[in-house]
Amino acid sequence: MWDRRDPERLEQRIRVERDGTVTALSGKIDFGQGLRTAFAQIVADELDVPIERVRVVLGDTDQVPFDFGTFGSHSVAQEAPLLRKAAAFARRQLVDRASAKLGLAKEELDTEAGAVVGGGKRVPYGELLDSEPLAGIIPERVSLMPETRRKYSGRPTPHVEARDIVTGRATFVADIRLPGLARGAMVRPPARGAKLRSVDDSTARKMPGVVAVVRQGDVVGVVAERDEQARAAAAAVEADWHALPVEGPTAEVPMRSDPEVDERLRGAAMRLAQTYVLPPIANAPIGPSAAVADVRADGATMYVGTHRPFGVREQVAKTVGLPEKKVRVLPQITSGTYGRNSHADAAIEAAILSKGSGRPVLLQWTREEEFAWSPSRPEAVLEISAGLDADGHIVSWRYDEHTNVHTAAGLDPGVLGVTSGRNAVPPYAGFPSKVTLHIEPTRLRTANFRSLAAAENVFAIESFMDELAALSEQDPVAFRLRHIADDRFRRVVERVAERSGWQERTANRRGRGIACTVYHDTYVAQVAEVEVSLSGAVRLIKVWCVVDPGQTVNPEGVRNQIEGGIQQSASWTLKEELLHRDGRVMNTGWDTYPIATFRDAPESIEVFVEGDESAPPTGVGEPGAVPTAAAIANAVYAASGARLRSVPLTRERVRKAMPA
Amino acid sequence: MKLALTVNGQSRDIDVPPNTSLLSVLRDDLGLTGTRYGCGRGQCGACYVLADGRAVASCLLTADQAARMEITTVEGLADGAELHPVQQAFVDADALQCGYCTSGMIISAAALLARDPEPDETSIRDALAGNLCRCGVYGRAIRAIQRVAGSS
Repeated sequence: MWDRRDPERLEQRIRVERDGTVTALSGKIDFGQGLRTAFAQIVADELDVPIERVRVVLGDTDQVPFDFGTFGSHSVAQEAPLLRKAAAFARRQLVDRASAKLGLAKEELDTEAGAVVGGGKRVPYGELLDSEPLAGIIPERVSLMPETRRKYSGRPTPHVEARDIVTGRATFVADIRLPGLARGAMVRPPARGAKLRSVDDSTARKMPGVVAVVRQGDVVGVVAERDEQARAAAAAVEADWHALPVEGPTAEVPMRSDPEVDERLRGAAMRLAQTYVLPPIANAPIGPSAAVADVRADGATMYVGTHRPFGVREQVAKTVGLPEKKVRVLPQITSGTYGRNSHADAAIEAAILSKGSGRPVLLQWTREEEFAWSPSRPEAVLEISAGLDADGHIVSWRYDEHTNVHTAAGLDPGVLGVTSGRNAVPPYAGFPSKVTLHIEPTRLRTANFRSLAAAENVFAIESFMDELAALSEQDPVAFRLRHIADDRFRRVVERVAERSGWQERTANRRGRGIACTVYHDTYVAQVAEVEVSLSGAVRLIKVWCVVDPGQTVNPEGVRNQIEGGIQQSASWTLKEELLHRDGRVMNTGWDTYPIATFRDAPESIEVFVEGDESAPPTGVGEPGAVPTAAAIANAVYAASGARLRSVPLTRERVRKAMPA
Repeated sequence: MKLALTVNGQSRDIDVPPNTSLLSVLRDDLGLTGTRYGCGRGQCGACYVLADGRAVASCLLTADQAARMEITTVEGLADGAELHPVQQAFVDADALQCGYCTSGMIISAAALLARDPEPDETSIRDALAGNLCRCGVYGRAIRAIQRVAGSS
């Protein structure tokens, strides 16, 4: 499903404009992970133009080639080589045209800052477009700019949109203002899946500012002139609901099944079995879901935050009864959503409200709605058993992951394996293993969240590795290294030990823990240092991280992403738990679902980007968040002797787990 | 009700229903969308503005209350093309990811530096404790603010 369908065409990727600017097009979406900046760097380098002249258009369904969506930190890996080739191909065509125009051989020509130069002449790109725009199928092989001539790729570059953001000019979805824009508010059911029996809107219709009360199927909402008016009227709509419990699906997926796992377990010199538990957690974006819909009889325009603009186009077209070609989806910059925007809830609701009221409608969910109705990261229970030989080598590994479905991508075992089963198979070598994924039903609405199940699985695996090291009286770093066959993996573990001064002793209730993983070919190892008070309060002091994401376009962007992943994951690990009953989320505000604040941020997060430049670029949006929970839990053990197998690491839990 | 607000040094006349929040007035009546909605309860800091120099949640102020104060939003911090030192420091330190919480952070930092030009790290953390960030740029924001403090 990740495959591209048609050969890539230049005009769908790069447009050189007459004013000398360059437009680069991609179906990928930037949520703050810096794609726009990375793409601008690549195109500026290959086309030899200043980066300020490059405009990156992401996800406009009328302009960009079809794209399945922005998932799994694949974006730079997928798009970087393509945009690089496209830009290089454009440069070659420009040189060809200049050659014809000037009557000079191509070999005599070169490019410089947005112009073709040679023979004492200088022709800006904009002057080479008289006849026709640049076009054609991008060839498999195009000669690229030598690395010595790259001005931006590989160098730290701040976000290209940073100036707009710090001045407040950046336009997020909820900042779109159209002529005649009305505001929407939804009427929510008592629980998800409820069916609407009847609606009494007689009071609501008479309230100030109300434009329309709109119902389509089980969706009902109010359109009014002002936001507060829409909310007040929505609260006055009397809806009669028929509650119908809905449950997620069930499935069992064998992920790996080597021979002799059970026999070797029985015969092992040392054995250990443990269970790890992670609660559901919320995406909890700072900006709640929002969408602007302008649905008319002859077409619709949607301003949305989404991972998959073409998916939104399809869903909106179906919802409002228009052909897909008549729906234009314009993804806007949005609050970071870490996976939540895979679902187009607000877009579909806004489209219904716009169609029903005949007005363009901005719908922004409230904070309470965001917590209550968004999909969440599923809970997970991870059971691991392993055996060691007398020499402290793992000889057998058995792993059962119990969780709920992580995506709406379907129940195909292959899909479940790479989503809900992500990183369930340990990255270590030298022993047979049996790994089984059990998808269990839940009333909670669950879906994509940063790294899918990898964060949960790696918490269990890396905590357990620490426990195995302790059982066999081995150093946690040395124990891991004994079971690593991959050189790049070995290197990040060795480097993080060096960088953090792993051998140094810590004192005063402080301790250090290590965890590492390989996430979609990105290698990452972290050491966390914590302080544990006598009452069990955990303070994260420092984190060191070494990451190898292959060839690196923007090292500063990588550091920022990895730091952010670590900070967010520390918040999950130390603070977060979504409570739910009968499919209803109980904690729906920042007071009842606290996340890490400025006061909780560690003294430092040191990220060392040590990419193997001979390897293709891999993603960094998710891997930083993956090993942090285990690094912290392992540090808590080193600091206090308390082995925590459940998160969050609350004061009470830690105190109870402390040795007497 | 008719009100005159002083926003970013200009007097602005508005006509809004009673109890309309300052946040709603800024975003929906004055077109100043840089101040953002995050929770409506003063718990996240995304909607902070300067009110008589103090960082406050504009979702908790009514327009009526705000009419008695000098209001400065993130749009009013820069001096023409020249960014406020905190804004410049956030760009230089790349102290943002999605940018949704950035306006509020910058407002809190500007208020802090106006009353204490050389805050220590604890003061910075305390002053911005009401500004939630989910992308995790806390460390970079602290360093950006320290850089401004150090250079003054």
